[in-house]
Amino acid sequence: MKKTKIGLILLEMILIVAAAIFIYPVFLMVINSLKPFAEVVTDVIALPKKIEFQNYAYVTEKINFVRLFFNNLTITTIGLAGIILFSSMGAYILSRRNTKFTRMAYMFCIIPMLIPFQTIMITLLKVAKTFHLSDSLWGLGIQYWGFGIPMAVFIYNGFIKTIPREIDESATIDGASTLTIFFRIIFPLLKPVTATVAVLDVMWIWNDFLLPMLMVNSRPQTKTLTLAAYTFVGQYNTNWHYAMTAMVMAVVPSILFFIVMQKHIIKGVVAGAVKG
Amino acid sequence: MQLGQKNKMKLENLSFVGPCLILVGIMVYLPFVMSMYYSMTKWNGIAKEPIFIGFQNFINLFTGDQNFVRSILFTAKYSILFIVVVNIISLLLAVALVKKLKTANILRAIFFIPYIMSMIIVGFIWRFIFSQGFASLQAMTDWGIFKLSWLGDTKLAFYSIIIVSIWQAVGFYMVIYIAGLQAIPDDVLEAATVDGAGGSYRFFHVVLPLLGPSITTCIFMSLTNSIKVFDIILALTGGGPGGTTYSVTLDIYREAFQNNNYGLGAAKSLVLFVIVLALTTFVLHIFKKKEVEM
Repeated sequence: MKKTKIGLILLEMILIVAAAIFIYPVFLMVINSLKPFAEVVTDVIALPKKIEFQNYAYVTEKINFVRLFFNNLTITTIGLAGIILFSSMGAYILSRRNTKFTRMAYMFCIIPMLIPFQTIMITLLKVAKTFHLSDSLWGLGIQYWGFGIPMAVFIYNGFIKTIPREIDESATIDGASTLTIFFRIIFPLLKPVTATVAVLDVMWIWNDFLLPMLMVNSRPQTKTLTLAAYTFVGQYNTNWHYAMTAMVMAVVPSILFFIVMQKHIIKGVVAGAVKG
Repeated sequence: MQLGQKNKMKLENLSFVGPCLILVGIMVYLPFVMSMYYSMTKWNGIAKEPIFIGFQNFINLFTGDQNFVRSILFTAKYSILFIVVVNIISLLLAVALVKKLKTANILRAIFFIPYIMSMIIVGFIWRFIFSQGFASLQAMTDWGIFKLSWLGDTKLAFYSIIIVSIWQAVGFYMVIYIAGLQAIPDDVLEAATVDGAGGSYRFFHVVLPLLGPSITTCIFMSLTNSIKVFDIILALTGGGPGGTTYSVTLDIYREAFQNNNYGLGAAKSLVLFVIVLALTTFVLHIFKKKEVEM
């Protein structure tokens, strides 16, 4: 018994050292964002001589951080709202009714999970221009509906099947319409899956790079956080103190989100992976 | 009455499912079909009319310049190494972190953090570490590994990309394995111990088989993610040094948006689709068989 206890303590110590090395790059990013240029160049691993937020003031203004943050928020909100609304409604009918139409529509909805984004990105640009969806935050958000629906329908469909049909049937007898049943009875029951879909899609849309790069990169007004960080590093190639500051600013919202929602995020990620 | 009911059902079907069909149709199927058409044309994106050239693009892919073939080989090498290493490391971490440790929760969180960051940012952080950080660490420790040109040397650049990819993703696979391990009932493990099974025997003959579904999930996810690797390479090496670290997706991007060969790019993107489709169905098929046997 004693032996296992010592073993556990030893294991824990090894893990703590491993975790410290593992997270060290993030630590380096943070301390170097607080140093002036000269200090970054002479020694990366030294702690800042005194903590200054000049880099932050400069970068905040240069990339217009506040606007970028709200751009991300707008795109993610629009994308998420549409994906959840349309997918849950669609999956409800698709899992409840078994006709030739619903079977085919279900396949039509989930097959795109097999198509890599890079397979369609070239022509998507042309499609987005035709439908006036490029160069706008709304347009980008709407595009996420199309790309997010397949997996969301798949996840919702699996869950709705586990809800007893008697619930809808008794409501139908009471004279409720399908729309009322869905929004009053079914949708509230979907909460756990909606949380899963939300976690997966927020992490995806918030951090996405390639689609925003193709769609909203031409004007500073419509850039996202990741896009701005990417452009910024390109311009300030060797000014690592500014680059690291931009990185920290782009990452902080995600980390705060993670700290607050940790339990939901891990649950959602696991549920999404196992079902997907 | 009966007919009215049926029409009402049809109307409901359409109004509930219609938005999904329209959105997926426009965003995915329409560009997909267009890709099929453009893959058979010569089109620079600017000219109004693409020129139809049949299967010439597909022939050029494999007989013309070797960029595409090279990027396929790179991606294959990358995927195999990534799938093997990320699964082993994350499984080891999971096994260690399901034990009753005081710091288990915070350690799990630390290993998960890179997964919530944008991959572009992860790539940039590591570019900074490899180029600037290693120079300082070398000055401090005088260790040879910090002296190497991790991004400038062809061979090392490949391993740098692998290291960074694993660093970013290991937490994700770890939490799936942890969930799988926690689902194994304690009494099964106790029974094995009572029967005299030692630590490693118990792991390989009791735990691993019971972990089957999690392993399937992780291998499948790591496969589909590694074939499509893009952001990390773009931020870390940009395909360099000397164009040796182009993945298939990065090569498609270069062909279409930098060389402006949209037709050829579309052809490459369809080849990618076929590869992904073939590999995923193949892997799913194998796992189905395996699960039946078990």
